[in-house]
Amino acid sequence: MRARVLAGALAVLTLLTACTARRADGPEPGAPRPGTLRVLASSELADMAPVLERIAGDTGVRVEPVYTGTLDAVQLLAEGRADGRYDALWLSSNDYLRLRPEAARKVVSETPVMASPVAIGVRAATLDALGWKRDDVTWSRIERAVRDGRLTYGMTDPSRSNSGFAALVSVASALSGAQSALTGRDVAQATPRLREFFAGQRLTSGSSGWLAAAYKRRGTVDALLNYESVLKGVPGLTVIRPRDGVVTADYPLSSLASAGAAAREDVRRLAEALRSPGVQRMITERTLRRPVVASVPPAPGLDRARRRELPFPGSRSVADGLLDAYENKLRRPSRTVYVLDTSGSMRGERLARLKKALTALTGDFREREEVTLMPFGSAVKRVRSHVVDPARPGAGAAGIRRDTEALDARGDTAIYTSLQAAYDHLGAAGDTFTSIVLMTDGENTAGADAAQFRAWYAGLDAERRVTPVFPVLFGDSDRAELESIAALTGGRLFDGREDSLGGAFEEIRGYQ
Amino acid sequence: MRRIAGIVLAVLLIGGVVAAVVAGRGEGDTSTATKTVRAVIGSEKAEFFADPDVVKALAAKGYTVRAETSGSWAMEGLDLAGYDLALPSSRAPALGLAAKYGVRGELPRPFYSPLVVVAHENAAEVLAAGGLARLDAPRRGTLDMARYLDAAREDRTWQQLRGAAKYPELTGTLYLSSTDPETSNSGALYLAAASYVANGGRVVASRAEVDRTAPLLRKLVSVQGAQQSGSDAVFRDFVSGAGNPLVVVYESQVAALLAGGERPDDLVVLYPDTTVTSDHTAVPLTAGGRAVAALLSTDPRLRELEVRYGFRPQGAPTAFASATAYLRTELTGIHQAAVPTSPVLHELARRARGQGGERT
Repeated sequence: MRARVLAGALAVLTLLTACTARRADGPEPGAPRPGTLRVLASSELADMAPVLERIAGDTGVRVEPVYTGTLDAVQLLAEGRADGRYDALWLSSNDYLRLRPEAARKVVSETPVMASPVAIGVRAATLDALGWKRDDVTWSRIERAVRDGRLTYGMTDPSRSNSGFAALVSVASALSGAQSALTGRDVAQATPRLREFFAGQRLTSGSSGWLAAAYKRRGTVDALLNYESVLKGVPGLTVIRPRDGVVTADYPLSSLASAGAAAREDVRRLAEALRSPGVQRMITERTLRRPVVASVPPAPGLDRARRRELPFPGSRSVADGLLDAYENKLRRPSRTVYVLDTSGSMRGERLARLKKALTALTGDFREREEVTLMPFGSAVKRVRSHVVDPARPGAGAAGIRRDTEALDARGDTAIYTSLQAAYDHLGAAGDTFTSIVLMTDGENTAGADAAQFRAWYAGLDAERRVTPVFPVLFGDSDRAELESIAALTGGRLFDGREDSLGGAFEEIRGYQ
Repeated sequence: MRRIAGIVLAVLLIGGVVAAVVAGRGEGDTSTATKTVRAVIGSEKAEFFADPDVVKALAAKGYTVRAETSGSWAMEGLDLAGYDLALPSSRAPALGLAAKYGVRGELPRPFYSPLVVVAHENAAEVLAAGGLARLDAPRRGTLDMARYLDAAREDRTWQQLRGAAKYPELTGTLYLSSTDPETSNSGALYLAAASYVANGGRVVASRAEVDRTAPLLRKLVSVQGAQQSGSDAVFRDFVSGAGNPLVVVYESQVAALLAGGERPDDLVVLYPDTTVTSDHTAVPLTAGGRAVAALLSTDPRLRELEVRYGFRPQGAPTAFASATAYLRTELTGIHQAAVPTSPVLHELARRARGQGGERT
């Protein structure tokens, strides 16, 4: 009887929540349910699924994760948009969170669950050629090898992925010679060395998973920077923690002040279960992260020698300044072609949505980036390139907006012929990151067909073939067709349907 | 709409009570229904309250404690409606909470624990060779606070200390890491001890003394970069081998680890020659909370268990019999500095965190 009253009350509560919930960016978690925790989590934690399954069996506490990047999560918290929508936060690290007091205030308690340091994974042949011993590699030696043209590497985009951010802080701390937490002056001083270091970066990615896949496919990149646990999972890499220091992720499970008492109690039980010796053993064996209880040794193969922990910047201005320097000054610039379907079927609302999504993106382009709009119908209609020039702030963005406004919908859909034009436009990658975004709302109806494109692509030289195509599903586009383009070129498919074209474009930025 | 929500909440509250009673019955002790006391505690006491023996001892007196952790200073920002007891790890935040919730009378202080520095073996060895510390036993020693503060003033690095070159992890500025003094008690108490020494062995009280000591405290904090907000987290990182080799924690945290049977081979406990103790202070918000607070101070079994978790019960000589290799049985020879008043300590923490506006 009482149980039924409770259930009824919960149902009403669910309705209340549903009608008051604000529509916000990003995926929407479900309504609160007893025994189920809605957790805003780093995407790398997807590998914890079997561990969480076991804990759910043992304790009855289930985790419903919504994955996001660290910076986005902190922003969500700071703006109060996580209040009542999430019961807990579980990021790879709360270091960045701590720099935003308005976000940090939302956290009641945090429990580190496991640890993984930033490391460099190096191909065996490269290791031999460089004559490196695992225990005496420093960031300076890595830098020297890069400068001498003997080492190239891939890493994730620090603005989107925690592993990239931690790698950036490690490199900047070590190469600046800072003896304690980084300051703005350290970053400024180290800029020439950092620029040299990042000239060796050949792969960028919005996620660790795609980075590993791209590394394998490319076959010419010598190393990856990422968390030790990720690198250990990539075959053929020797994992090295540089001896002059690393930044370590400690995966704190954090309860939120806005969550109810019952939910906070469940978070506590989840934390307790995660730190029990049995689960810690399972974590280190399955995920190759390090345990945080003294009674459980790290999984075999995890080197136990001590490493200095590089302090994380203590202020937001330093951390954001470093990110800004990386994106706009230090990393190699991007050259990006947007191949945009403006055939007849795009007329009306679809074209309006495309314009809106592109316009929203203009603030997001980095300094020195070359952005090319290539609208097509029965053939490529126009090729307009804009460079974001720091000397003329706003000019590039204004040009892109102007060209976006001028788009009009007409003609058939020549997907493959247009892609060929994009490859021809980009030529060899040289000292830039090249990529193609393909947005189409239908199937190929004109010009070259899939087989012809495939044969043409196979004939490209290696320097041109490295450019990936990131197709975006939209309207009535053919998923299988776009998936095979992504697979052929080493890109990744994104979903821009259901009003999320802007979200898809934004996510792709991490790969450009 | 608001009225409907009110009804729903009322129904939910009834449901909540039912659920708690049912859960209580499910967890054994079927004969005695215990009264549930909801407590918010400093994170360093989480393991004590989770221990089955503590649960049993409390149940024997008729109580089940549901404890949730929070930084001691962060408790001020929580809404404690529905809670029975707050148990921050020192007196100053407890007084603030008592004032906020109108709790009158003497606040019970069941146990205390001094601040210590946990060090990895290599770091302790290099500190001792450099005259900054003295090892009284292989795993136990004393940190010379005045000399440490001198080193901090001069931005001394590990590389400048003899013997550090052998150990790749010992590079960069030599510093103790602590929690964020603005939100967490152990970080604030670290500043209390440092300011006492920097002020020539007197408690910082006046504006002039704050101004004089603040620059050094700012240095002690800024060198650390981003700080954690709970003493449990910094100790966890230390144990897992990540993080700085010198960390300020409560003695009780080390004792609890040792009481669990752990004998970490890479842990040396350094007692600062001038330290402060955290007086775990109870703020009873209801009669149930008051009863539990009293039990913690007087119940012999609970006091025994407190020792197991490394807390030193007030008014009783303590011996950490099983862990003397790491811990001092008595605190003789360790100077216990008094803690500045709450407003002064807040101001010191604020200035140390660079909130004076002089630099970001």
